[in-house]
Parts: sequence; C-alpha cells; structure tokens
Amino acid sequence: MGANFFVNYEEVVAMILFGIGFANLLLQNNLIKKIIGMNIMDAAIYLFLAEKGYIAGRAAPIITDGVQKMEAYINPIPSGLVLTGIVVSVSVTALMLSITIRLYARYHTLNLDEISALIKKEEA
Amino acid sequence: MIFTAILIPVLAGLILLLGPEWKNRKQLCGFTDAALLLSFLAVCVALGTTKENEAVTLFNLTTGLPIFFKIDGVSRFFAVLTGILWVPAGIYAFGYMEHEWKEKRYYGFYLLSYAVLTGLDFSGNLITFYLFYESMSLLTLPLVLHNGSKEAIMAGLKYLFFSLAGAYMVLFGLFLLNRFGNTLTFTAGGVLDAALLEGREGLLLAGAFLMILGFGVKAGMFPLHAWLPAAHPVAPAPASGVLSGMIAKCGVLGVIRTVFYLFGADFLRGTWVQQVWLVLSLTTVLLGSMMAYREKGLKKRLAYSTVSQVSYILFGLATLQWEGFTGAFLHTAAHALMKCGLFLVAGAIIFKTGKTKVEELSGIGRQMPVTMICYTLLSLSLIGIPPFGGFVSKWFLGRGGVNSGLPVFDILGPAVLLVSALLTAGYLLPISIRGFLGGEESVVRPEKKEPSFLMLAPIVLFTVLVTVLGICPDKVIGYITEIAKVLIKEGMTG
Amino acid sequence: MEIIRNFPAAAILLCLFAGIVSSGLKPKAAKWLNHALIVVEMALNLCTLYYTAVTGEAFVYVMGKFPAPWGNEIRAGVLEALLALFVCGVMLLSLLGGEKELEEKVEENKLFLYYVLADHLLCSLLALIYTNDLFTAYVFVEINTISACGLIMIRQTGRTIEAAVRYMIMSLLGSGLLLMGLCMLYDLTGHLLMSNIQESVARLHASGMYGVPLTVTIGLMTVGLAIKSALFPFHTWVPDAYGYSTASSAAILSSLVSKGYIFLLIKIIYRVIGFEVFHDTKIVNVLFLFGLAGMIFGSLSAIKENNIRRMIAFSSVAQIGYIYMGIGMGTQAGMVAAIFHIFSHAAAKALLFVACMGITGASGGSVKFQDLTGAAYRNKLAGAAFTAGSLSMVGLPLFSGFISKLLFAQAAVQNQGKMLPALVVLAVSTILNAVYFMKTVIRIYTPEQSPYEGITWKNQKLLTVSCVLLTVLNLHLGCLSQSWENLIMKGLGMFA
Repeated sequence: MGANFFVNYEEVVAMILFGIGFANLLLQNNLIKKIIGMNIMDAAIYLFLAEKGYIAGRAAPIITDGVQKMEAYINPIPSGLVLTGIVVSVSVTALMLSITIRLYARYHTLNLDEISALIKKEEA
Repeated sequence: MIFTAILIPVLAGLILLLGPEWKNRKQLCGFTDAALLLSFLAVCVALGTTKENEAVTLFNLTTGLPIFFKIDGVSRFFAVLTGILWVPAGIYAFGYMEHEWKEKRYYGFYLLSYAVLTGLDFSGNLITFYLFYESMSLLTLPLVLHNGSKEAIMAGLKYLFFSLAGAYMVLFGLFLLNRFGNTLTFTAGGVLDAALLEGREGLLLAGAFLMILGFGVKAGMFPLHAWLPAAHPVAPAPASGVLSGMIAKCGVLGVIRTVFYLFGADFLRGTWVQQVWLVLSLTTVLLGSMMAYREKGLKKRLAYSTVSQVSYILFGLATLQWEGFTGAFLHTAAHALMKCGLFLVAGAIIFKTGKTKVEELSGIGRQMPVTMICYTLLSLSLIGIPPFGGFVSKWFLGRGGVNSGLPVFDILGPAVLLVSALLTAGYLLPISIRGFLGGEESVVRPEKKEPSFLMLAPIVLFTVLVTVLGICPDKVIGYITEIAKVLIKEGMTG
Repeated sequence: MEIIRNFPAAAILLCLFAGIVSSGLKPKAAKWLNHALIVVEMALNLCTLYYTAVTGEAFVYVMGKFPAPWGNEIRAGVLEALLALFVCGVMLLSLLGGEKELEEKVEENKLFLYYVLADHLLCSLLALIYTNDLFTAYVFVEINTISACGLIMIRQTGRTIEAAVRYMIMSLLGSGLLLMGLCMLYDLTGHLLMSNIQESVARLHASGMYGVPLTVTIGLMTVGLAIKSALFPFHTWVPDAYGYSTASSAAILSSLVSKGYIFLLIKIIYRVIGFEVFHDTKIVNVLFLFGLAGMIFGSLSAIKENNIRRMIAFSSVAQIGYIYMGIGMGTQAGMVAAIFHIFSHAAAKALLFVACMGITGASGGSVKFQDLTGAAYRNKLAGAAFTAGSLSMVGLPLFSGFISKLLFAQAAVQNQGKMLPALVVLAVSTILNAVYFMKTVIRIYTPEQSPYEGITWKNQKLLTVSCVLLTVLNLHLGCLSQSWENLIMKGLGMFA
C-alpha cells in the first residue's frame, strides 16, 4: 500500500490538489479565492488525466519520421479530454469572474457572506 | 343512473360557484332546493334501477385499479340516510343563511359535498372510496371555514390536517391490501389472500389497525378526536348538523368497509386490533360525554356529544357480533337524525336570540316552545329512553356487548354505555328544564320567537322520524340483519 | 422510416444553431424562433418515440466517422424519446406562462438573451438525455449549468446575482466530482462510451479487481450528480435560485434542469455501471437515506417559509427526495416509480410556479403570504391552477401525485428491509406537504378587501393556455398513468 503511493506519486499529487481545490471552492468566503480553488480542482483533474495517458518511453501522438506503429505513441484521448476540459473550465471561470465583477460593483466587497448581509439590508 | 345522481349536484354546485352573483335570493334558494331534490330523486332512482353488486366502471386508474361504483345493502342504507339528512338541512339553510354572508358559495359547496357523499356511498372499491373520501375532506372544508373568522380558519386547518393524517393512515393500509389482497373491491367477508398472507399476519393487523384509526379520525375516535369539537361548532348551524350527522358517519362507513368488506370480521376477531379498538371506542364514549358535561357553549357541547355518540357506533362494530352490528347501524341512523336535529335547534336559537352559551338559555322554552319541545324529545332519544330511536339502537348495542363473548368487555362495555347515558342526560336535560322552568317567572307573556316555517319544519321532521324509528324499528332491523347475516357468520341465532 | 434515426442528433444540433442565430435577432424574432424550435423539437422527438416504440428496440447513431469504441455516439430508446418530448412540452408551456412577466421585468436589450439561453438549455438537456458518451455528458452538464445560471440572473437584482453565484458554486463542486469520477472510470476501463464501459465494469466486478476504486468512482459520480440535482443536504442553493428568478426560469430549473441530472444518473446506473454492480456497492442505501431525509427536511423548511416562491422551491427539495428514495430502493419497481415521479413532479411544479406568478401578479407582485390573502378571487384562473397543482403535490387521486405515491408505496411493499421506513416517511412527508400547500390554498381563498386589482383571463391569455394545458397534463398523468408506466418499463428494458 505504502509503496503504491510512491510509485503512483503523480496520482497522489493530483488527488491532494483536487482536495485542496475542492475545499477552497467550498469553504472560502472570498469569491476570487473560490474561483482559484475551482481552477486548482480542474487542474488537478487534468494532471490526473495527463498522467494516465502518458506511457513511459513513448512519444507524443504526432506522426514524425513516418512511424505509424501504435506502440510508438502515447494514448491521445486523455490529451483530447484535457483540451476539452480546459475549454469548459475557461468558460466557467469567465462566467464566474463576470458575476463576481457585477457583485463587486454593487456591493464593494468580495466576501460572499457580507454580500448576503448587504442584500438583506438592502431589501429591508 | 349512478353517474347522473352524482353529476346533478356537481353541475348545480359548479354553476353556483362559478356563475355570477344572484340578484334574487329566492331564486338562489329555489335553484339549490330543486337541485337537492332532483339529486335525491336521482339517487332513489339509481337505487331502484341498479342491480345489486352490478359494477359501473368509470375508468381505470392503473391496471387493476378501476374507479367504479356498485350498490349493496350498506350503500343503500347510507345513501338513503344521506338524502334524508341533506335535503331538510338544505331547506333549513334557506332560513338560517339569511343572516350569513356568501350564501352562494355555501350552497355551491353544500351541493358538491352531497355529490361526493353519494359517490362515497356507492364506491365499489377502496381506491374509489379513498378518492371520494379525500374530496369530501376538501369540499366540506369551505363549510367549516364559512364565516372566515380567525377561529374558523384555525378550526378549518385543524380539521384539514387531522383528516389528511387519517387519510394517509388509510393509504398505508391500502398499499398493504393492494399487495396482500386479491382485489381492492369491497367483498363481503374480505379480500385477503391466504397464500400471500402466510407469515405476514402481524403486518396486516397493523395495517387494519391504522385504517380503523384513520377512518376513526372522521368519526372523532380518541386519540384523533381533537379537531371535531373545534370544527363542527364553527360552521353555520345546518352545516354543523350535517357534519356531525353525516360526515362523521362516513368515517363509520369507512370502518365498516375496512373491517367487514376488506379484512373480514374473522381475520380481526380475537386479535389485539379488536381489543385496542374496543378500548379506544369505550374511552372515547366516556371522554366525549365528560367533556360535553363540562362544556359551556351549546354547539360545542353538542359536538363533544357527537364524539361520544359516534364511538357508540364504533363500539358496536368492534364487537364483531351481529347484535352489535345491528345496533351500530341503528345508532348511525338515529344519531344522524338526532344530532342534526339538535344542531338545527341550536342554530334556530342563535338565529333568533343570538345566545350561544348554555346558561343564557333560561326561559328559552317559553319563547320558542315548539323548538324546545323538539329539543327535549331529541335529547330523550339521545339519552336512550323509549319509545325513541335512540333506545332501540342502544338496546342492541348493549346486547351486542353482553353477548360478544369477550372477557371483560361483555361487562365493561355495557357499563360504560350506561354511565355515558347518565352523563348524556346530565348535559342535555338541564337545558330543557331551565328552558321551560327557569328564567324570569315575572314575565307573564314572553315574546314569541319561534323560527320561520322553513327552519322549524326540518326540526320537527327529524323529531318525528326518530320517534317513528323508535316505535316501529322492525323493518330497519330486518334489513340490517340481512346484511349482518352475510358478513358475520358467528353467533347468528336467528 | 430510417430517416428518423437522424432525428435525435438533428434535434440537438438544431437547438445549438437556433441559439446561435438568435443571438443576432431582435427579442420578438428570437422568441418566435424559440417557440417554433420547440414545436419542431417536439415533432422530432415524437417521431423518435414512435419509431422506437414500433421497432421495440433502441438505436445507436454514430456521430462522425469513428465507430465504437473510439467515436462519439447517440443512443435513443423509448424512455429517452419520451423524456425528450416531455421536456420540450413542459419547457414550451413554462416559457409561455412566464412570457408576460419576462417582457415586463427583463430589460428590452437583454430579452433576446433569455431565448438564446433557453435554446442552449434545451440543447444540453436533449444531449444529456440522448448521449451515449460520458465525456460528452460532462460537457453538456457544464453547458446546462451555464445556461441555467444565465436564466437565474436574467433579471439583475442583488438577490438573483447572489443566487446565481451560489448556484454556480454548488454546481461546480458537483461537476468537479463528476469529472473526477468519470476520469477515474476512464482510467479503470479505458473507455468513454457507456456500453463499452459497462462491459469492462462487469468484467472488473466479476473478477473482484479494483473493488475500492470502483466504489469510489461510482460514489464520486453519484454525489456529483446529487449535488447538481439538489438532493438534501446539498440543496442550499435551491430556495434562492428558484425563489428570486423569473417564473419561467424557476419552472424550467426545478422541473427540467434538475431532472436532466437525475436522468443522467439513472442512465449511469443502468448503462455505465450496471444495475447489479451499482446495487452491490450499497450506495443505493445512502441515496435511500438522503432521499428520506430530504422528504422530511424539505417539507419542514417549506412550512417555515413566509415567501410563496421559496416555499415551492423547498417543496422541490422534498420531491427530489422522493425520486432519490425510489432510486435508493434498488429495485426495478422503485426505479419505475422514480422515473414516473420525474414526469409527475415536473408537470406539477411547472404548473405551481406558473400559477404562482399569476397569484403574485394579482397581489402587487408581492410574494409574502400576508399579501396573498384572497388572491384566488382576484385571479380566478391562477387560483384554480394553483389549487390543482397543490392537490397533485398532496396526492389526491386523479392527479399525477397520487400515482407517484402509489407506485412508490408498491415498490416499498415489495422491498423487505426498506418497507417500513419508506412507508412511514412517505406518509409523514405527505402530511407535511398537505400542511403547507393547503395552508396556501386556504389563504388565497380567504376573502378579503384588497387594494390590488383583479386580473381576468383576457389580460393573461398565454398564462391561461399554459395553466390549462399543464393542469390537463397533470390529470392525464393521474388518470391514464398506465400507458406512461408501460412506456417507462419498455424504456428501462431497452437500457440493458
């Protein structure tokens, strides 16, 4: 068990990063920190995917020198997934940032609890 | 024909509810009256033309769960009784509702309630019964809420929540029966499948108990009776009358259907369910009487009396013995007439004098002699004094208790009934005594305050009917015994 | 007939293009394009439903030129087509019902965006329903989230923006877990297409290898989707998101968006993990417990609420609990009940939100209970529709809610260990439902002199159409549930 952790240290790092990101997204009060947490979480997943797609000793799946054997290259699908994931996470980040800007312009704070309190006060 | 009988009041009720305000009050009353009579006529025709146990299916809810109607002995009994109560109480309302608001709405819901009661009486299986039972809770709610005061709304909410809680206990049983029974159609002797049942008796008994308790909510059975004394009195008097007289009996109808037509009397005989049921009903009999004895408001006192009296009926059924069964049916009819009559009297007093407390009623008998004579006769019947209907029914209930062959209960039951009868005398008769003898003697010629003919006639009618039921009950007893013969095999001696 | 095989893919692409085209159109044109689009979608999905029902088997449509196991696929069976048809119908009715409010409350230059978002939302829902590829499902889950977020904050007030942020945060947590789960699943099996994964998972399960990672994976995906579909205790974003957005948005979010995720979960259970494997992981029991808790706590929160919109929102939490309870039974009957409740709840909740808009509209726009007194007299149609929706929620026979309860109870009775808790909680929760819905109905029918003006049906023709049709849908589900049940059973059969 313990040895596995050292052999698969990339996965372990990915999981730890995922946990850090997840906790930040969930627990931080500051909106920007939440967004950073989300990005850490996503990056952790991409690290995990990239690591899983990599096969030691093989090249990136771009045909060079006419070598067409499958055994020469790594699995290209995880790389594709990472690219797609990055697109998704970029758009989500953009959306979150734009909402954050709106809220900051209205309430001059990034703290979500304070914003809630201000909204309640505004309505009362 | 059954559809027509249900559709007429539904349509008439919807016309009243959705239509514009009526300018002429007489026309409004006339329309309601015509609709009521026509509906009752349609019910009678339906009773006459439909063959016994002929199923009239409306549609299928899902596989094996049709919404359908059929007519058997029990539905005949209840349908006729409903009509006898609903039409006069409706006529009484034309007089009474003059001083209330939103009459149109009242009549609309009154008619709709009649329709669902008819549907309830004719329901052929539990799912249909449940449908109409729920509708009944919802449609009679506006009657309780009628005057819109805070007290009425609180009472209405209480009524609603207790009713729904009861209905879901029933639903619980329904789910079990759907699994362990052959069908949900009401079948004399029960529908349980012995093969499926194997080893699950405990569960089924729990289901039966929940259903009895659930239907018992409407009948005001302890421990779920608290809504009844709150909800019945706040409604307008004619509505209180039918609520106590008939709606409470629908709970009884539910119990009859559950025990004798779904689980079967033999399944429950001698089990803990029967014991607990007996204890609960006897507790309610005593408790209701005592609460009524302590209560100061007239209508509220009558409502507590309903709690007590309806549990007489449940006790009779709980004996699972033919005399108790007969007594239960007789008391259903007698109590419906008596209690509706008494509420109408209370309404007449409120309408004419505005008095609601018992102690204010001294000398009322000299102002409203006919009304108070009817009150006295109805009270005597409710106490169980011959020659009124209440005596016959209580006689059978008592005999049912004695001959039930149950240890303890064969003594305890009749004893509780007797004590409660004494209490009944204690809370009803003082009103008559003070009404006729009390008050200011010096007034030689008290002002006459007799209510109008429209209000007086139903009261007199109920009094006469109760007396007739007491003097010649043979026909009714014979009819009920026929039903009992099929349902209860044991102990039928003749 | 063969051409129908192209319809699911066409339906998804059509929405996507309609959304893009709409972004260049005037609000009115965008609206008409959207409505026309949904009608066309309904026709397409109806054809698909008919085709699958007649042929009796699901079909696979290969997207692009790569065959399995590399390419991307769409798969349509009876259940998918039925749900897609239903989604389109409810969406159209919700949009119609809330149209007047939208035109009044949303800024003129932003109105077209609403329809762009609605088109994309429909696109992502259809994709979630039809796709046979897990990663595609993830991408569309995100598209769904983004469009839903836009729908929440189309009317920009502090409340809606805050609600949108909270919604986004919870959703992102959910999709993060889902993505992690499916990456691990890809790692374990080497496939992304559902049918291929299922084969590998079955092999893994049989060999007993990777037991713990498999369970963790399933757990991650389940929890992720549960968060996104607002299962208790992950429901904290619900009341704000449904409570302060426009009526159409709330109706669409509660009746369709959350159901899309649940349907994806059901698909994952049947088509990715395999029903038996899923059952063996005991995660069903966790879902069952959370479902039960949601049924009770959602209703309790609803009782305490003094804002009618938030009350309905909390009721959604309870109803989602019902669905998860059904899934958590771990039996076929429970699943049928859960799927039926997806339909039933969607119909009733959309009706409630739309009718609620009519009621609040007749009370000066206030959502506080004390202002609603007598609202049903001022807006008779909305009052009646709200009552119908409430009765369906409470479970009066003839309405769809009753059939749901019946199916849940039947499923519970067949399941030894879970029977008692399920039945008891079902009964308690139903009574709690009755408490707050009937309380509301009584209040709106309590006559009172009110400063607010009444609304007749002539001033709200679209709302009338929407309310009437949704009520009919509820009654149809309640009275003729047999054909729906048969289709659901048939569809579940095709999942295997």
